[in-house]
Amino acid sequence: MVSRTTKLLFIGPGVAYLAIIGLFPFFYSLYLSTTSLNLTRPRRSQFVGIDNYVQLVTDPLFQKAILNTAILAMGSIALEIVIGFLIAKIFYEIAHLRTVDWLRTLFILPMMVTPVITGLMFTYILNPTLGVANVLLRMVGLPESGWFGSVDVALLSVIMVNVWQWTPFLMLIMLAGLMAVPRELYEASALDGAHWYQQSWHIELPALRDVLLVGAIIRLIDNLRFFDVVYIATRGGPGDATEVISMFAYRQSFQFFNMGYGSAAAVLILFITLFVTTLAMRYLRRVEHG
Amino acid sequence: MKRRTALLMAGTIMATWPMLGRPSRAQDSRIDWASELGKHDGATLRILMVQDPWVSGFEQLNPTFEQITGAKVTIDAFSYDQTHEKEVLEGTSQSSQYDIIVLDSPWVGEFWSGEFVEDLKPYIEKTRPEVIAWDDFVPAFQTVAEWEGTVVGVPFGAYFMMMHYRKDLFEQAGLQPPKTIDDYKAAAKHFTNNPDFPGMYGTALNNARGSAIGQSFFEWIYNFGGKPFANTVPGNEDPYGDMTPQFDKPEAKQVFEFFKEMLQYQPPGAESIDWEQRAATFTTGKTAMITAWSVRTPGFHDPSQSQIADKVGTSVFPHVEGIDGVPPLGGWVMGINAHSEQKDLAWDYIKWFTSKEVHKQFVLLGGPPSRLSAIEDPEVREKMPWVETIAETQKHVYAECRPRIPESFEIIDTVGLQFSRALQNQVTVDEALTELQTSIADLMVKGGYTVQQ
Repeated sequence: MVSRTTKLLFIGPGVAYLAIIGLFPFFYSLYLSTTSLNLTRPRRSQFVGIDNYVQLVTDPLFQKAILNTAILAMGSIALEIVIGFLIAKIFYEIAHLRTVDWLRTLFILPMMVTPVITGLMFTYILNPTLGVANVLLRMVGLPESGWFGSVDVALLSVIMVNVWQWTPFLMLIMLAGLMAVPRELYEASALDGAHWYQQSWHIELPALRDVLLVGAIIRLIDNLRFFDVVYIATRGGPGDATEVISMFAYRQSFQFFNMGYGSAAAVLILFITLFVTTLAMRYLRRVEHG
Repeated sequence: MKRRTALLMAGTIMATWPMLGRPSRAQDSRIDWASELGKHDGATLRILMVQDPWVSGFEQLNPTFEQITGAKVTIDAFSYDQTHEKEVLEGTSQSSQYDIIVLDSPWVGEFWSGEFVEDLKPYIEKTRPEVIAWDDFVPAFQTVAEWEGTVVGVPFGAYFMMMHYRKDLFEQAGLQPPKTIDDYKAAAKHFTNNPDFPGMYGTALNNARGSAIGQSFFEWIYNFGGKPFANTVPGNEDPYGDMTPQFDKPEAKQVFEFFKEMLQYQPPGAESIDWEQRAATFTTGKTAMITAWSVRTPGFHDPSQSQIADKVGTSVFPHVEGIDGVPPLGGWVMGINAHSEQKDLAWDYIKWFTSKEVHKQFVLLGGPPSRLSAIEDPEVREKMPWVETIAETQKHVYAECRPRIPESFEIIDTVGLQFSRALQNQVTVDEALTELQTSIADLMVKGGYTVQQ
């Protein structure tokens, strides 16, 4: 029988580690969010209670940031699932080819690029005057776009970049799911006269549902803290067209140094993330248990 | 710059130092740097600054300082926003990693109130007047370096915003460089979609959201006859005494509408361009004129950076007819980190680098002229003819054209957000200005300033 002291000795370091890197920063942020602390005027800091939170929920820019983040997350994940599935299906069908390993490696390369570099790269590619994207559009006779600079398509451009970088992640998950589907199911359905799209709908998609949900939840969390590309390419602009919640919190905390208000935004973002992911996890469990 | 080239230039400067460094006035020749500066063998001086075009000037001059003092000088340079962020975080964490911090004029109040920098007044007082030659700095830039009776930094990089235009195109069109805003509009219109100037656009403004367009408001408002706050106007002894915002005044509306109107004379995608990109439109020959800080002027004339190097003319920033224009003033001063452990070494470097003779070398290497002696220097004038425009511009500048209070960064960014929204038709000009009037007034009240309700 293991003694209580031994158990505590084993658990202790883990608890201490979590307390230092997780709990202390969280409670300190919670404390900061009740003050008016600005790092450049530290002596003027006062206790303000929930004022920062009240100001935050009525701040039109924060509301726009939440809306933009929601559009970014839903738009990106939906496109990544559709495109990812189609490409996973192609890789599944050509799995017998010798070159498939090379092709798969090439396809997942965007995932390995640092998001800051991705932002810089697309800043050049999508530059309205000097970028290659508009040159290509001109060559095929399509109208040019303002991309990151146009209020109508800036968020769409950010979604496009996000989809370019992270579709391979969902593709890999779905490819693994497809590989796990028993071949007998395909053979039996083919004998029954099922077309490829019927096989996809009735066999593959139900088989992929669990892994897809896990992948979508991971991408949801990623999108809720999406920052680098916006920071590099648009800074939340033009206007407030690409303002996302992490950019909002960053600007308050590290450009204006309003640590009180910025911490309130960070705490609120944490609770929004917890709420959304808890809902998604519950749904996942319900699916898993039929 | 390639390391070999930098070493070669440094060697040349050191070899010709006594000759190149000979100042125009007799008293300056008495500066014996070997005795003026202490010996700091083995020490390393670290400087934190912005990655602007003059960094290579520092790198070429520093070996001379290293030879005199025995200290090693290292420079860390970052983009504009990152410099601000890093300097504030260094200050708040009371870090001694850097000895000298280079700060932009609107940050002066912020850095002083945050206790990030030393008061340099005692250092100046203990230094021989001919070494500092404080009165030789551009007068408005002397004010920029001062805050609440202290000296926060020593000037070295004064920026004057000037009009840069294509001499060849203006000559071909029979136009004079624009003196008034109406001239500017007319010239921009003339060069856009004109078969005589195929592929050419009139101009490019600083339209990107954030500091870019936020600063633009403060650059243009005075030249429309307005002011951003009740007291921030040239000649007022107490510029921050009444911080009632003036966004509800007609001049503010005129600035917003001017930017919207000018969009039609700018290249596609101009709604989101900032300093770098609009300069690129000019140097690649896509725009006929742009307003730009004088720090970029040497690059515009450099064939390795500009396709139109031999065709650039400069003139004073335009303003509306019938008023005295106030060309925008900006730029950088050098302060000592309040938590540095090598303040004497830092001061030795500052007084050496900002002295008349070293400043002239810095200017000849592409640095921004910040001293009257450098602006008037015949050698500088011969090599850099545009300094004549700086000489005229510096007579009309205003130190407070962008506020220098601790809230400056947030004010400029807030203006930048609403200005960008109006430019992109996300809101009307009136809605943006009403929002600004309220939000900036709230910010000022929160900061403890006087605001008339």
